[in-house]
Amino acid sequence: MTALAVRRSFGAGAGMVVTLLVVLLVVNAFLNPARLAPAGILTTLGLAAPLMLAALATTPSILSGGGGIDISIGPMIGFINVVMVTFLFGNGFESPIVVVPLVLALGALLGAVNGFLVAYVRLQPIVATLGTYLVFFGITPWIQPRPGGDAPEWLLRLGDDFALVPLVFVGILWFAIWRTPLYAYLMAMGGSAKAAYTSGVEVARVKLLAYALGGVIAAVAAFALTALIGSADPNIGPPITLKAIAAVALGGVSLAGGRGGFIGAGVGALVIFSLELALTGTGASTFVLQMIFGLVLVAAVLFNALVARRR
Amino acid sequence: MSGHVVIEASGIRLRERAHEFDFRLAEGEIVGLAGLEGHGQAAFLEALAGHRPPSVGSITIADGAARHAITDAHAAYRHGVVYLAQDRKSEGIFPSLSILDNFRILTLGEASRLGVVSSRRAREAFERHRQRLDIVLSGPNAPITSLSGGNQQKVLLARLLEAQPRVMLLNDPTRGVDYPTRLALFAVFEQLAVEADVSIVVLSTEIDEIISHSHRAVVFREGAPRVELGRNELTREAILAGMFGLEAPDGSPESAR
Repeated sequence: MTALAVRRSFGAGAGMVVTLLVVLLVVNAFLNPARLAPAGILTTLGLAAPLMLAALATTPSILSGGGGIDISIGPMIGFINVVMVTFLFGNGFESPIVVVPLVLALGALLGAVNGFLVAYVRLQPIVATLGTYLVFFGITPWIQPRPGGDAPEWLLRLGDDFALVPLVFVGILWFAIWRTPLYAYLMAMGGSAKAAYTSGVEVARVKLLAYALGGVIAAVAAFALTALIGSADPNIGPPITLKAIAAVALGGVSLAGGRGGFIGAGVGALVIFSLELALTGTGASTFVLQMIFGLVLVAAVLFNALVARRR
Repeated sequence: MSGHVVIEASGIRLRERAHEFDFRLAEGEIVGLAGLEGHGQAAFLEALAGHRPPSVGSITIADGAARHAITDAHAAYRHGVVYLAQDRKSEGIFPSLSILDNFRILTLGEASRLGVVSSRRAREAFERHRQRLDIVLSGPNAPITSLSGGNQQKVLLARLLEAQPRVMLLNDPTRGVDYPTRLALFAVFEQLAVEADVSIVVLSTEIDEIISHSHRAVVFREGAPRVELGRNELTREAILAGMFGLEAPDGSPESAR
């Protein structure tokens, strides 16, 4: 849109995040050169894609403002993974022409349920999506108690050689939306919900669409995740939420809404991923990792608040 | 004003224990609303805009041959009603957006082709309004907060005009606006009423504005109209008498109830 919008889509602390990313990439290149070598870069990207997409899936609801957030994104991705592998692949539906539209529609539907609860039932977003978080969390092991199942060949290739495909797909989707009224409404609403309502913007519908868009991107994340693990895993979804929110906050997306964008969220996710990669390379336990993600989340929100206050 | 009735409120009650009343707005009519702060005139304007539907009674708008109920802000907008908020900072402008984005936020749907927003078209439209309203700015992509209060108000007015409204509801449009700009704003309102048959309901805290620019005035007291004054009855004394609930000095204005 405008130059102002471009600057906003990256957020205020862009310099810090990019510096952090470069430092972490250098550290990783030192610890594990093969990961960043031309031969291994696509595999590394396939490894990073689920988190990047999860962060992008969390972004629209946060941008919509009014405390908007979808914390169910993690378990939703896990749920879609299990549904896809168990019900579709498990019953012989493997053709991408069938699978891709069905799974994207499922994501849109799940996101729209969250959006409906927030926009029309008017539940607080964090409460509404905590509810759906727990539903997805509970229903997923019920469908598939243990890791298992197979993924078709075309999907597995999205985990390495074609790792860019899901990211590019979402990039194009976002670019398209960026040029529609929906994007402007979203940013305006996040900036001032009251002004949006009094001037006649259809606030509820824009909110619903934001959550539905998050659901569609969560479905793409589920493809990237399934491509990576090649099976169904009922336990893999829930921990993604915290990392995704940390990534979004780190990427300069204001948790108060109206400020930030996809590029920032994606870069934030890359920072979290590089951090994870570097730390696992040194043999740190998952508990330490969780703790560090939590600290990053607090530090990022604090940093954003300080930048916002200085304006 | 004996034109076609655009907005009709019947038997509405704005708050508990207030009187119920009717209101009709004709095409091309400018109605001034007055009253001491908090006596229902602002609530009435917001009810017409669909922000706060009245607890009793109905408000409808004519659209072609049909009449539609105004139930929420977007429904009102769809049928050609636009609203200018009193509190420009918190309900009018989008402080994080540029001047151009602030201008086009309402009309994005119409200004887009195949779902894609056309910046060029918005810029051209904005330029027309900028000249007509004499908006002083460094450039359309500058933040809205870089403008003076009067110029912000003009951008908001341009936003409403671009929507080609049939009814404009203006909540104290000249608050915090310098005198020449006030005159310019009312000149635009009068021109719209005469040339485009736009109906205008304007709430003003300046009694003189109501006297010099409206076709009739409704003075609110205790949540309902106290007196209604035709063009020839518009005097400072009559309006003040209505605001304070007194009999007018010459006793001429009839009660609205």
